[in-house]
Amino acid sequence: MFANFGIDLFVTAATFGNLISYNYFLRIAPGSNLITAMVAAFQSGRDIWREKYIKDLASYLLTLPVPRRTFAVSRITGGVARSLIATFPGTLVISYLYGILLSPRLIEAFLVVGLFSLGIVGLSMAVSAFASSIEVFATVRSAIQLYLSFLSTIFYDVTLFPELVQPIVHTNPMTWAIQAFRAIGNQGSTLYPISILVGPSLAFALLGAICYLWYARL
Amino acid sequence: MSFSTTQVKDSNSLPGGDSTSRLVLQMARRDISTLFRTPWIIISRSLAFIVQLFVFAYLISGFVVKFPNYFEYYAVGSVVGTIASISFIIGYDIFEEAEEGLLDYLLTLPISRRQFIIGRALGGAVRAMIYTIPMFVIVALMEKFSNPLSLSFAIFDLFLLAFGVTGLSITMAVSVRSANRFDVTLALLELAVSRASTALYPLAFMPSYVAAFAPYSPVTFAADSMRDVLEGTSLNFLSIAGLLAFVTIFVGVGATFYFRRLEGGVYA
Repeated sequence: MFANFGIDLFVTAATFGNLISYNYFLRIAPGSNLITAMVAAFQSGRDIWREKYIKDLASYLLTLPVPRRTFAVSRITGGVARSLIATFPGTLVISYLYGILLSPRLIEAFLVVGLFSLGIVGLSMAVSAFASSIEVFATVRSAIQLYLSFLSTIFYDVTLFPELVQPIVHTNPMTWAIQAFRAIGNQGSTLYPISILVGPSLAFALLGAICYLWYARL
Repeated sequence: MSFSTTQVKDSNSLPGGDSTSRLVLQMARRDISTLFRTPWIIISRSLAFIVQLFVFAYLISGFVVKFPNYFEYYAVGSVVGTIASISFIIGYDIFEEAEEGLLDYLLTLPISRRQFIIGRALGGAVRAMIYTIPMFVIVALMEKFSNPLSLSFAIFDLFLLAFGVTGLSITMAVSVRSANRFDVTLALLELAVSRASTALYPLAFMPSYVAAFAPYSPVTFAADSMRDVLEGTSLNFLSIAGLLAFVTIFVGVGATFYFRRLEGGVYA
């Protein structure tokens, strides 16, 4: 995952920085980390899909002496923890670039990654519950990843999008996660972007838990 | 993706009883036919191409003032990047077949191992071409590339890249045993080969540590050769030679690895 992040940041973002400006590099840098968080978070859904269709482990897991709701919540928590671990070095690198590595604001950076991952883990679990084949899972995953990456403010301002598309960009969790990171970098308050990010993240996590409970019916 | 049951005709005939090319083509046809049974993959890749070109490249080219006509540059490169990405899929197919036990069935077919392997590499490459040609047509129409000879050479470049990447992907699929490690390795390789290349941005703007390696990426060979031939500059013999070397090495290595693994019973 760190190698993935490294290629995104030190190859793609650095080259766009040279093509445009160093400020642009700093602007898109947190996107590399959030894209890594997205990939790591989606791995949770893929694992659940594999447990059911490839490894045939779902029935065994559901015999464990754990209530279904606790099990669903633990899957989400595990996914978020995994995503935080996978992005740990990346978050440190971005924090270094933004000059907050040794500041208490580092906690805010991890909070943003955790909140963002929470929503994506929920989404990936919801997809895994309904995808009957790996092709469907991969297709929905790549459509969501396209939406999160390119219809957000990672690379450009929301004003550059046609008016019709702007509401889609505004409701994208990636937009608010990246805005929160930029606020940290500008020494501004993250309260507004984080308070908006909480909405879709909790909604997606809840959706993931409901879908997992539905999927776990025997 | 992998539970394909396309019948190999004349299955009663002994290995060697059919012409080599016919058996190779039958194996290739099997991989090509999976394309039409998995429309989801076509949809997702096409969507990715459209969004990258008409949203990302269109918007970002407005910022790129140091390099004129960046959108046109990106458009050709995005086709090259897409075919490289799609050619990697054959590795996932082979890995899943092994994991699900389908490979055992395939090995009982009356076809020699060598024909089996070459057929798979060829099928993977042709499949990638079928995916990518409509995207190439869109770019050719947008950029008004109309010289038939240039277009033919560009398609040849794409095919060479697809064939070589297919070999590379097969090599990885038979070299890595763990599913998670395989997923990560292939995704990382795909990312490295495409991003550290001149497909999406010019060499002059890459950081020095990337610019040192990028000229040797097969994606760079294909992208440079395609741009030269489509823009009417000349045939880029150096890049074509690089592509041919890449194909020879990786289809050869892939075939050898695959052959050894199959005969060694690793998948049993």
